[in-house]
Amino acid sequence: MKISFVVPTRNSVRTLDACLASLRAQMHPDVEVLVVDNGSTDGTVEVAGRHADQVLQWGPERSAQRNHGTHRSTGDVVVFIDSDMVLEPHVAASIDERFTAEPDTGALVIPERSFGVGFLARCREMEKLLYVGDPAVESPRAYRRELIERIGGWNEDLTAAEDWDLADRTRPVATIGRVPAWIWHDEGQIRLRATFAKKRYYGRWIDQYVRMNADTSGSKFARTALLRQPARLLRHPVLTAGLATLKLTEAAGLAFGIRDSRVTAGARTP
Amino acid sequence: MRILVLNWRDLHHPAAGGAEVYTEQVLRRWAAAGHQVTLFAAAVAGRPATEIVDGYQVVRAGSRFTVYREARRWWQRWGRGRFDVVVDETNTVPFLAHEWVDDGARTIALVHQTCEDIWPHHVPPLAAQLGRHLLEPHWLRRLGGAPILAVSDSTRDALARFGARDVTVVPEGYEPPAARPVVDKEQRPTAVFCGRMVSYKRPGDVLRAVQLSRREIPDLRLWMIGGGPLLDRLRTRAPAGVEFLGRVDEQVKHDRMARAHVHLASSVREGWGLVVTEAAALGTPTIAYDVPGLRDSTRAAGGVVVPPRPEALARWLCELLPGWRRQSGAALPYGGARPWDEVAETVLTAIQRHARVPGGVREPAGDPGLATAA
Repeated sequence: MKISFVVPTRNSVRTLDACLASLRAQMHPDVEVLVVDNGSTDGTVEVAGRHADQVLQWGPERSAQRNHGTHRSTGDVVVFIDSDMVLEPHVAASIDERFTAEPDTGALVIPERSFGVGFLARCREMEKLLYVGDPAVESPRAYRRELIERIGGWNEDLTAAEDWDLADRTRPVATIGRVPAWIWHDEGQIRLRATFAKKRYYGRWIDQYVRMNADTSGSKFARTALLRQPARLLRHPVLTAGLATLKLTEAAGLAFGIRDSRVTAGARTP
Repeated sequence: MRILVLNWRDLHHPAAGGAEVYTEQVLRRWAAAGHQVTLFAAAVAGRPATEIVDGYQVVRAGSRFTVYREARRWWQRWGRGRFDVVVDETNTVPFLAHEWVDDGARTIALVHQTCEDIWPHHVPPLAAQLGRHLLEPHWLRRLGGAPILAVSDSTRDALARFGARDVTVVPEGYEPPAARPVVDKEQRPTAVFCGRMVSYKRPGDVLRAVQLSRREIPDLRLWMIGGGPLLDRLRTRAPAGVEFLGRVDEQVKHDRMARAHVHLASSVREGWGLVVTEAAALGTPTIAYDVPGLRDSTRAAGGVVVPPRPEALARWLCELLPGWRRQSGAALPYGGARPWDEVAETVLTAIQRHARVPGGVREPAGDPGLATAA
């Protein structure tokens, strides 16, 4: 079984080397690595050239980059990895083993945990561990080629929640499994202001997603997973307080973003 | 060529480290090649103010804090007009030779590593904040006005963040032990940590990683080699399967490192991480944190870098160790570093190419006519 890793990039030089090195270090004999860049100017392409089998240029956003990578890859399985992710060496072998053992499974979730620099990164690490196993948050990243092509790939109209959208379209037509090897997500140094700005940007797209998926989207935003394990939170009161601050900042960013998109939409209507 | 090297310590200083070994190996070879070499460093109790060591002259004055001022004074009184090149070997605090060498000699800096997140491990918290956020950025910005040699890609990247553009990477050196231990790998899965038991090397992380790994590899054993202030505390809270050897002589160290299946390193950062090179030369692969320095030596040695968390170290250890036990790799002759002869030659060539008269414009390659004097 040949496994293709598709990595969309855009000014990803800080984390890309570690990401691609971990893909090349996979303990599986037949792995292909494609980087689909979107006009990076920070040396991303040079780093990609050192590791990848193909370095492509495509845009305008990650969903389109991923679909282009799917199209240009030749593996039986396509795995979508972000440029700030480091994979344990057994991920590809585990994917092969799962798909071989479970012929009815069409897609696989790869569990994620975070790491980064500073206190807020530790809060984020705790948060991500709480989401492991929660189907409302986890989305599959590894697809049999026939399945990802059948469901039409990623929705190129979405920049945020595109992973939830893909999972929503996968669930009715395929069984989703999981592998026991992890993705390590490099959060870098988390800053409140940047977090607010990022969520504000996403907020503009969230409104669209919610309108498309009114029935299922509510639970994803309530993030009840955070509250379902109070014992874990109580064991780390300082981290919990930090996490609460982080979530409030994100919520504020999202709210502003949604307001931005509605103001723009309102301004457009005559 | 008449070369002056400014360093905070020489090899006879009680706190001499990897930078001093590097300096000594290189200077010794330059002297043997016929250059007139002088090393200026801090005073050492019990050693003369000037002496000849291995063919080069050592001049000593000043303490850890005043050596910088003493170097400048010495040069102004005795050194002016006597040297062709002045090398500012910067260990956190630069000599800033390019600001006061005014006799037409060329200058260049040599940086092994930046301090940055290591500050809190060396000085009290308040001083650490001052050093990290005010002093070091200030010093490195000033140093950025001179050409710089960096001993790893990570150091070059760190210097670039402080605005230094004229940075050339030079290799790290390694001299393999004269008698390589001819030993078999252990029967029982064995990991080894080798380093001083100090906070920035984070030996506790390696202990935790092994403790976690024993869930999957119950007979995993860890050898902790090295002395230091944390040793006693670690001994008391050590989990099962850990042997603390303390400080041992080179032969024992090499023997144990050769017999282990994997070497683990978890520092906050290093200049290079020579212990990784040593392990590779002894046929033992490394799993190390993906931090500056360790990243460079581990990659060069064909090892694996992981996210800087004990849980990650444990995960990678459990996944890679079985394969490494079945088929142990060959020893790398220089462990990923270069022989010292090559290092000395490369550094000298780099100095000849890049050192420049302070204030002088760097000559564009192949067009000496455009160089302008200060």
